[in-house]
Amino acid sequence: MTTLTRRSLFAGAAAVGAATTLTPLAGTPSRAAAPLLGNQAPGWYRYKVGSYEITVATDGKSTFKLPDTFVVNVQKDAVNGALAAAHMDKDTMTIPYSPIAVNTGSKLIVVDTGTGEANFEKTKGSSGQFHGNLKTSGIDRNNVDIVVISHFHGDHINGLLTPDNKLAFPNAEVLVPAAEWKYFMDDGEMSKQTTERMKGVFANARRVFDALKRKVTPYEAGKEIAPGVNAVATPGHTPGHTSLIVSSGNSSVCVQADVTNHPALFVRNPGWHAFFDQDANMAEATRRKVYDMLATEKMMVQGFHYPFPSVAYIEKAGTGYREIPVPWNPVL
Amino acid sequence: MQFTRRSALLGTAAVAAAGGFSPLSISSGHAQAASNGITGVYRYKFGDGEIVQLLDGARTFPMPDTFVANVPKDQALAAFESLYMPKGQVTITFSPLIVKSGGKTIAIDTGNGLGAFEATKGAVGNTRANMAAAGIDPKSVDIVLISHFHGDHIGGLKNADGTQAYPNAEIKVPAAELAFWSDDSNQSKANGPNKGNFANVKKVFDGLKTTPYDANKEVAPGITSVATPGHTPGHMSFVIASGSKRLVVQGDITNHPAVFMRNPGWHLMFDNEAALAETTRRKFYDMAMAEKMPVIGYHFPFPSAGYVEKDGTGYRLIQVHALT
Repeated sequence: MTTLTRRSLFAGAAAVGAATTLTPLAGTPSRAAAPLLGNQAPGWYRYKVGSYEITVATDGKSTFKLPDTFVVNVQKDAVNGALAAAHMDKDTMTIPYSPIAVNTGSKLIVVDTGTGEANFEKTKGSSGQFHGNLKTSGIDRNNVDIVVISHFHGDHINGLLTPDNKLAFPNAEVLVPAAEWKYFMDDGEMSKQTTERMKGVFANARRVFDALKRKVTPYEAGKEIAPGVNAVATPGHTPGHTSLIVSSGNSSVCVQADVTNHPALFVRNPGWHAFFDQDANMAEATRRKVYDMLATEKMMVQGFHYPFPSVAYIEKAGTGYREIPVPWNPVL
Repeated sequence: MQFTRRSALLGTAAVAAAGGFSPLSISSGHAQAASNGITGVYRYKFGDGEIVQLLDGARTFPMPDTFVANVPKDQALAAFESLYMPKGQVTITFSPLIVKSGGKTIAIDTGNGLGAFEATKGAVGNTRANMAAAGIDPKSVDIVLISHFHGDHIGGLKNADGTQAYPNAEIKVPAAELAFWSDDSNQSKANGPNKGNFANVKKVFDGLKTTPYDANKEVAPGITSVATPGHTPGHMSFVIASGSKRLVVQGDITNHPAVFMRNPGWHLMFDNEAALAETTRRKFYDMAMAEKMPVIGYHFPFPSAGYVEKDGTGYRLIQVHALT
């Protein structure tokens, strides 16, 4: 038998590449050439926390040229280094979005809503997938009892509305963080904004909630907002940013929302400040507290911007942390 | 309220208590546990072709005493426990794949089979269901490539009733593997866990027409066989090349990567020739690392692809698993 050598492993591959180009679709196939399928599988994944079912339904992703100040307090080279370490492309940032649904057995709760169905066409299906994936997973939007919003950025609230500005979850009570509501609905705060980005965040929040006729229920951090679902203040990314801890039986998962953006950058380097963090120092303090807790308690984390299905355990690693993705379980 | 460990934990405790008072029977209108199966399909473009990774399932079982043959059980248990697996238990996942290349549909390994689906109540044997979810008809498969003859790789060649699962496919098997398992005299020489496989190999291949293949051959368009012996005598891996891109489908060079890549000297009880398997493993990962070549692993956590990096005295898998 030929033994394994680098030559056998890689020279073989090169020879094949050449051979393939010489014999593309030739031969005597008994059937038509197998067409490429070209579309992804439905993006949903389900796991249990105690007796509760968590359904992760991805909204998709956004890919863009890495801005020079994507991480405001480190050089772009360092960011590219972290991307390379994760085998991600240089000078390119891909941010996934994954809202979830929690079924407690008595309540069906959606946590955050994605970039909105209107965005599906705009992005040629790259994002705006949440409502479609939720449906494919067997969950009817009409059955959703509660929508919990973590904070008011567009990728979390825009999916509250259909493309024609109707309620995307028509029978649901919409819960919003009280601190977030107070801040973004305050005209004085809005008038203080100096950057186009922040003006845009205010305008978009008002667009969405005005379409809901501002019919929302503010909720306080530190409260149980549904059976087994506790709100925890995790401010910094936005003033009222709130995470949830979902618990059933002996199990818990921290639905962190945006305590970190992509883990390859901000879990490994909790001191890095994402361009999106409104109060970066506070966001970092929150991040370190949350991740110390996750590592110490061995609590699962569900991360909105983690690669799908976005659920992991956290370990300390060097000066930061590392996420250990939960193995994909084929049965509940 | 600020986030403190106390607030998080108090909350949890309070919730657990509250949970006891409000079980699943509460009056509420709509919520019903949506217990459909899990979709185990992950698809990506590779050069001009396509890879469709399929999840056959996972088995969880108490760790056998000699699961890692050359390491004390305590140490092996600790390694698995550090992966957040239930104490004393081992979970192994199985993941075959479909490659679309050069106008052909090629299956690489077949999972535990539909027979095992019933026997395990759906824990394994999900390959066919996931193929259906991916829109792939088994009748459309042109070539089935088998890496080696263990039951979790060949079990899906037949349906539960013994008929052919891929009726129109050429079934290609490693020549060295075929020779080994066809020779009854090898049964006594095989290590313990491998002895039982002889009967299963006979059963699966009975009535099936196969084409033996050798190492370093183009066994399907763009796919080359590479000898990686040790786990079994004729164990093969596959290099898939398309355009300038290459990846390698390792088969069972390691079992769970977080344990056996970090500890390449650990000998899995299923390795027929453990020392040879270790030599193969070290060579293979040194090469994959040097080439930054992505590796697909049959027993890697789904969707089963990643890059190899040095980690202390061993290796680490950086999984590439972004869905979108």
